[in-house]
Amino acid sequence: MSTLATTWKKFVCRACGLIYDEELGDPDSGLAPGTRFDDITDDWECPLCGVTKADFMPYEPAVAASCGERRAAISRKEGVVVVGGGTAGWAAVEALRALDADVPITMVTACEGDRYRKPELSVALSQDKSPETLVTEYGRDAAMRLDVRLLSNTYAVGLSSALYQVRTTAGTLNYTQLILAQGARPAMPAALPPSLCWRINDLAMWTGVHRTLASGPQRIAIVGAGLVGCELAEDFARAGHAVSVLDMNEQPLAALLPERASQRLLQSWRSRGIAFLPARSVTLVESTSSGKRIVHTQRGEALHVDMVLCATGLGTDPRLARGAGLDFERGIVVDPGTLQTSAPDIYALGDCISIAGEPCRFIEPIAAQAETIAHAVLGRDHAGYRHKPPVLRVKTRSLPIVMRGVPSRELAWEVVDEDAQQLSMAQYRDGNVVASLDVGQKNVEMAA
Amino acid sequence: MESALISGDACVDSWSDEEVMARVGDIARGPLAVAATRIDAQGHYPLDIMAALGEAGALGVHLDSHGARFGLSIDAMQEASRACGATGFLMWAHDVCGLYMEQSRNPLLGGERLDAHAHGRSFGGTALSNPMKALAGIEPMMLRAAPTAGGYLINGTLPWVSHIKRGQYCGAIAAVHRNDGSVSHEVMFMLDCDERVELRHCPVFSGMEGTSTWGIRLTDYFVGEASMIADPARPFIARIKPAFILLQVGMALGVAQGGIDSSLEVEPMLGHVNRFLHDRPGELGAELEDAAHQAKQLAQTPYDGSTDYLLEVLDLRARGAELALRSAQASLLHQGARGYLMSAAPQRRIRESHFVAIVTPAIKHLRWEMARLCAEEFPA
Repeated sequence: MSTLATTWKKFVCRACGLIYDEELGDPDSGLAPGTRFDDITDDWECPLCGVTKADFMPYEPAVAASCGERRAAISRKEGVVVVGGGTAGWAAVEALRALDADVPITMVTACEGDRYRKPELSVALSQDKSPETLVTEYGRDAAMRLDVRLLSNTYAVGLSSALYQVRTTAGTLNYTQLILAQGARPAMPAALPPSLCWRINDLAMWTGVHRTLASGPQRIAIVGAGLVGCELAEDFARAGHAVSVLDMNEQPLAALLPERASQRLLQSWRSRGIAFLPARSVTLVESTSSGKRIVHTQRGEALHVDMVLCATGLGTDPRLARGAGLDFERGIVVDPGTLQTSAPDIYALGDCISIAGEPCRFIEPIAAQAETIAHAVLGRDHAGYRHKPPVLRVKTRSLPIVMRGVPSRELAWEVVDEDAQQLSMAQYRDGNVVASLDVGQKNVEMAA
Repeated sequence: MESALISGDACVDSWSDEEVMARVGDIARGPLAVAATRIDAQGHYPLDIMAALGEAGALGVHLDSHGARFGLSIDAMQEASRACGATGFLMWAHDVCGLYMEQSRNPLLGGERLDAHAHGRSFGGTALSNPMKALAGIEPMMLRAAPTAGGYLINGTLPWVSHIKRGQYCGAIAAVHRNDGSVSHEVMFMLDCDERVELRHCPVFSGMEGTSTWGIRLTDYFVGEASMIADPARPFIARIKPAFILLQVGMALGVAQGGIDSSLEVEPMLGHVNRFLHDRPGELGAELEDAAHQAKQLAQTPYDGSTDYLLEVLDLRARGAELALRSAQASLLHQGARGYLMSAAPQRRIRESHFVAIVTPAIKHLRWEMARLCAEEFPA
């Protein structure tokens, strides 16, 4: 190898992309091979587009990103398309494959499609988990095992139900049946801008929070004391961070628990050093020059923290469904028995749907939903999906909370059993239990 | 009474929706259909046809002063593009130039000057291909501006700008450089192609040769208040960007429609074998109708500044390009040997569809930007 050859440089035209290679020169405009770029006169013009030497810049070929293997060419072969690579999307794929080894399946997912147990995200920090240990199977491995064409890092951007066509950032896909498992996304109030506030609704978000908190104990403001906010508050406190929780209501989990029960939760928080700021609404979050955050409340307070975490609930992005004219009411409206949307051959499951106007964002019903849809897609008999409210467990480890049934705002909670460790309550209608609640458990600290 | 007449501005021009479409249809099926081959093969720049389209209202109805009828504007462009994609592109360039003038709120770009433009009595295009990509972070800005007394001095080269010639004009953007070479902001201005501007011949393109496309070189070209469209340019571009992209859909759908026409043309003779092909005219026709429906919806609110709206516009523009490509390709397969003649419409239309797919925003840029808009934003 000649050492001289390695010193030839290349320059690229910023306008048209033509490359001037010193080794080759540009004989057409009188530049002999071996003419150095520096030796070319300033009035020399790009032989293709005519811009001058000043519009050339040094050319260093970038290493091509290895996106080829996951960007399989879009084929016209139709089959089932699944939008969403979370728990619901994979459940649908598993259910289809269990019934049919051959039906072509394409999955479109905005993330890598890696599989993990989503409920773990709200207890993972204190268990010293990492993104790697949370993943149970990489998306590409699951795709290979289940014979799925996986379009990862790809977004579904348009849907035409009449054409059986879904448009993505990797091209247009035709489907015979479409399964929407797009999930829900954090609904962030305007005062909590996404550029300043974290939230945890998927592994990518958790990974970001995990990375940000890696440097040691920090002050964290959690906005929203619902299920996720309460679980994260305890998890972060256990991991050694100083946690303050703000909520519009007087108590945490106000939508769910009677006051007597939430008092127990507050008591447990106090022993963990978690501060609760009731009846607060955030009016502004700002960033300081040192990268800290200041949370302003309607009372004129200014909380100085290292991280703001927004846990103000989830909402289904209506864009895809509405664009296709699908019925939408707080989620993609599905038939409660068949899980078909308002369009033929389009089904939906998981966090993105609403049944009788109510979203149901729990893991438990997903497997049954997936099985119902798989049977319908493949034309197999099935008894149909029967929706029942799942048992609700709040993973606050020092004070576990379990709710069964459907509590009603009109009915009073009655104490069934109570001691220092545990509180059991129930709601009755005509002498029958309609909802029950267990807060804490006996000897929990001893067992911990 | 008087105010009623003024607010019903469209009546003043007799540019009713029906009349505009009727007159554009006559032009497209008449002189434009005849000129299409000459425009393509000989690079004929059809200013006579553009003037007729302007008189018919096809180049002005999208303006606020003529009722902001974007749906009609797209329909008109689609009708013309069906006969000649290059002319559709000229209409788009002309339309957005008018949009810049009106939206600039600069009285010196409005009034009689805008009126002449909107009626096709004067002509001008747009030099925003590079700036649009530059502002999206895809490539560097080619024109540089240096502040001077009363305005800016502009230097630099743009390799290809369409619908211009000596005496015409185009909207352009330059990055304003501070003394240390860093960029402070961008300015958008009307570039008058007078003697101060060096117009340079472009290499031969595979198609669209009749669009009067030139390289532009500027040396200390002065821009003052009179020519200013927006300073700073970014908020202005953010506001007009959906409309800028949406209007192109007329060209995309028109080329697609032309391809379907060509496939249908041979159906009586070749239908018995063509039924073995995919992308049959009926199938593509249904897709075209679906896309046209989406266009009509989006055309109602061209200045909607939401991310969701922009996403829908980008989606529509991308599907328009894909449809144009498939439709043109299908027309060649449907026509067989007759479509392989150099003079056949599918030959021209295939190159037009390639243009629809690669002109800014190209399919790849559209997907790139849709992915960017869909991605979750996280704290730094």
